[in-house]
Amino acid sequence: MNTSVIRYILGWVMLIEAAFMLLPCGVAVLYREQVGWYFLGVCLAELASALPLIRKKPRNNIFYIKEGCVATALAWIVMSLIGCLPFWLSGEIPSFTDALFEVISGFTTTGASILPSVEALSYCMLFWRSFTHWIGGMGVLVFLLAVLQMPGGFHMNLMKAESPGPSVGKLRPKVRQTARTLYLIYLGMTALEVVLLLLGKMPLFDALTTSFGTAGTGGFGIKNDSIMGYSPYIQWVVTIFMTLFGVNFNFFYLLLLGRWRQALAMEEVKAYFVIIAAATGVIMLNIGRGVMGFADLLRHAAFQVSSIITTTGFATIDFNLWPQASRTVLVLLMFIGACAGSTGGGMKVSRLLIILKTALREVHSYIFPKSVRSIKADDKALSDDVVRSTHVFFVTLILIFAMSVLCLSFENADLVTNFTAVAATINNIGPGLELVGPTGNFAPFSPFSKYVLMFDMLVGRLELFPMLVLFYPGSWKGTFSRPRQAKQA
Amino acid sequence: MERKRSSKTKVMNIVIVGCGKVGISLVDKLSREGNNITVVDKNPARVQMVTDTYDVIGVVGNGANFAVQTEAGVAESDIFISVTGSDELNLLCCIAAKRSSNCAAIARVRTPDYSEDLSYLKGKLGLTMIINPEKESSQEIVRILCLPTAIGVSSFARGRAEMVRIKVPKNNMLHDKTLAQLGPQLGGSVLICAVERDGEVHIPAGSFRLKEGDQVNFICPTRDSRSFLERIGFNTRQVRNTLIIGGSRAAYYLARQLIQMGVEVCIIENNRDRCEELSDLLPKATIIHGDGTDADVLREAGIEYAESVVPLTGIDEENILLTLHTQEVSGAKVVTKINRMMFPEAIEKLNLGSVVCPKDITTNAIVAYVRSRSASKDSNIETLLRLFDNRVEAIEFVAQPGSPVLDIPLKSLSLRDGLLISCINRKGRILIPGGDECIQAEDSVIIVTTHTGLRELEDILV
Repeated sequence: MNTSVIRYILGWVMLIEAAFMLLPCGVAVLYREQVGWYFLGVCLAELASALPLIRKKPRNNIFYIKEGCVATALAWIVMSLIGCLPFWLSGEIPSFTDALFEVISGFTTTGASILPSVEALSYCMLFWRSFTHWIGGMGVLVFLLAVLQMPGGFHMNLMKAESPGPSVGKLRPKVRQTARTLYLIYLGMTALEVVLLLLGKMPLFDALTTSFGTAGTGGFGIKNDSIMGYSPYIQWVVTIFMTLFGVNFNFFYLLLLGRWRQALAMEEVKAYFVIIAAATGVIMLNIGRGVMGFADLLRHAAFQVSSIITTTGFATIDFNLWPQASRTVLVLLMFIGACAGSTGGGMKVSRLLIILKTALREVHSYIFPKSVRSIKADDKALSDDVVRSTHVFFVTLILIFAMSVLCLSFENADLVTNFTAVAATINNIGPGLELVGPTGNFAPFSPFSKYVLMFDMLVGRLELFPMLVLFYPGSWKGTFSRPRQAKQA
Repeated sequence: MERKRSSKTKVMNIVIVGCGKVGISLVDKLSREGNNITVVDKNPARVQMVTDTYDVIGVVGNGANFAVQTEAGVAESDIFISVTGSDELNLLCCIAAKRSSNCAAIARVRTPDYSEDLSYLKGKLGLTMIINPEKESSQEIVRILCLPTAIGVSSFARGRAEMVRIKVPKNNMLHDKTLAQLGPQLGGSVLICAVERDGEVHIPAGSFRLKEGDQVNFICPTRDSRSFLERIGFNTRQVRNTLIIGGSRAAYYLARQLIQMGVEVCIIENNRDRCEELSDLLPKATIIHGDGTDADVLREAGIEYAESVVPLTGIDEENILLTLHTQEVSGAKVVTKINRMMFPEAIEKLNLGSVVCPKDITTNAIVAYVRSRSASKDSNIETLLRLFDNRVEAIEFVAQPGSPVLDIPLKSLSLRDGLLISCINRKGRILIPGGDECIQAEDSVIIVTTHTGLRELEDILV
């Protein structure tokens, strides 16, 4: 393992986080909050420790997928450990475990909270909490690639480790251009949402934090009742933008290039919209017209469906009280997740499509044993490797899921709570059902369970393997031994 | 040393079809110089491999297919390069690309069937460049066989000037002399422009002292190179006969040129049908049907008496072993062709002598073109040569009218360090410039430098 490159990358990640921390400092100045000093302190300390790490360029630039995974996983852990310090040091979240949980939930765009009352936090803390969603949504390493000229063949291996989806492609020939394009789209859409929310008479602070939560598909609200208290117009804007941020960003890139036809032909995006429409329909039928008017019913159903499928986790209604079929639909949506190449989490629609197609092929080859049929996505045959790794991904996800549910079960909470708590964290959604429903929170869990859930969040955000590679002993074999000198003839 | 890209240069959008040896080597060199590259290949695994290793985007499919070309962004590309294994596909890809965009198309064409009338093809199809690595490398081999004591010979200024690489032997008159001392002794228009000693490359100044064992590159007018080598005590007789092992396309090109020069050629080829083809094509050559990797066959063909041997089997390892074998059994001059430098450190140690690498020749020609296209102003690179593991470049620029370096005595130009203006071709006359010489418009100027990546003549200034 090339440790010097990993050190260098970690240094840059810390530097970027320190720079981002200046924003809550600014907020603290605006609202004249004393706790802002904690941000400045952590920011300076981080800066001071990051500079020695990046002062020396790495000795060699050899950088394989192994280094990419380890660097990414470590970067996320380090980022979270430092990011939670202001909460903990200021005492606004007294326990370190809780502060770390909150920040990991932020960076991984989960939005699961341990805070019984969000409104008790100061403005700069609330801002930082929501802003972690925005940083984590597109990924801090992608940001790094966009701003830093990396030598050699670094690029793809970092991008692969951090970006979601079964196979990671580039939009443009160079990683740097691709990363920049992604961030430009991301920034542009966030700004657009802020403007539209402001038009709906939302205060600027609320508009910013809500947009961060939507853009990263995170789901931290700044009100105890999430988005419930806002006007229907605002709820519709948030619904639309949640849905949009769950779309594969290639779609927007193609639109920007004016290639409408190609964009609209994207199979995954089509399936994604079909699933949203179908789920909304089922829920509307299930709840029925008796309870509320059609407009309200449509709004609440659509909001909850896009909130769950994009793994955002905002709520306009306590869906924990919904009938069983609707609740089940939402739990199933948790696992599907958004499109690959979006800011959303979950298993991703494209993986679901691949799994469904393989199942179909299996049935087909059962009756025509000698038939040959390739699995296609967007009319292109997928290599067996992609198909295989998609299945392995699914199975691994279920295994980790099952183990986590088992770990949580020792607390004697009910099965639905445990099941949905793990589902909501591993898929980066936020609220689950029963105790962890939209009006509940994760505070009652023991520290042990919280660490399990933190692990699930990180594993879910980085799509399992970078995190698993970090803990796989084989990755570290021979890390600290020097290359042997060649014998002189 | 990678030169920092100045902001004034343009970034080229390049599409490369075919991820073979040459394709990958092009991707390596061109992406290092900061261009936007899209690669196209039919084989998904190869595309995957290239996109994993280099910062480029990949498209899987047939490069002549319209949909594939659209996806690869041919319409927005500046340069389209086709280097698949098939000549026909390369030409087809380029024609299709030319139809859909205004790019410069470069094709690799290797078969003698087409390469006889390259300029006709180039003109009719509107291609910018057609490269034939087999032919180019056989020309380089011919140049070495003409000066068998040299390790390498490359030509500049349309063949009017040569860069010759020699190794200073024991007890040679060059040993322990500074270049300033040598100047008057050697006379004539010769310039020593790069010296490698103990793995380090020097662009020597007048005070540089040569030692035995140095690898010396000098540049001089083509007609003077022989007399210069004679003056410093080298045997300069051109070879009279050549034994070629393997009857590949390269062997055909080489044999044809050698026969034209009156050299006796003997080719050993394993395949009976190919033997008959060769004997049709080359009636003056002796064709032997036999296994060239069999020591007895070689002895029978007279390897011990041959003045020169060129192993041209398709397999690098065989070529290297044949070279080593020849060095054991005879004193013949051997030129080794290596397609893929797999283990350069190990090959370096084998002391193979003259090595020719067709892939490098192709890559250099294309990189030269891309660089002159990406320069901010009109720039024209005639020839690009990389020496000593790409650590030194020799570049031939054509001086454009209006350039700031014109009409100023060279000694008054503030040149970068590690850079030498080694030769000027003025309307066919080769000058080895002194400090009072000026560069004039339309001159072609050969620069030898350790600053790799020069794009235009003005880059020589600090």
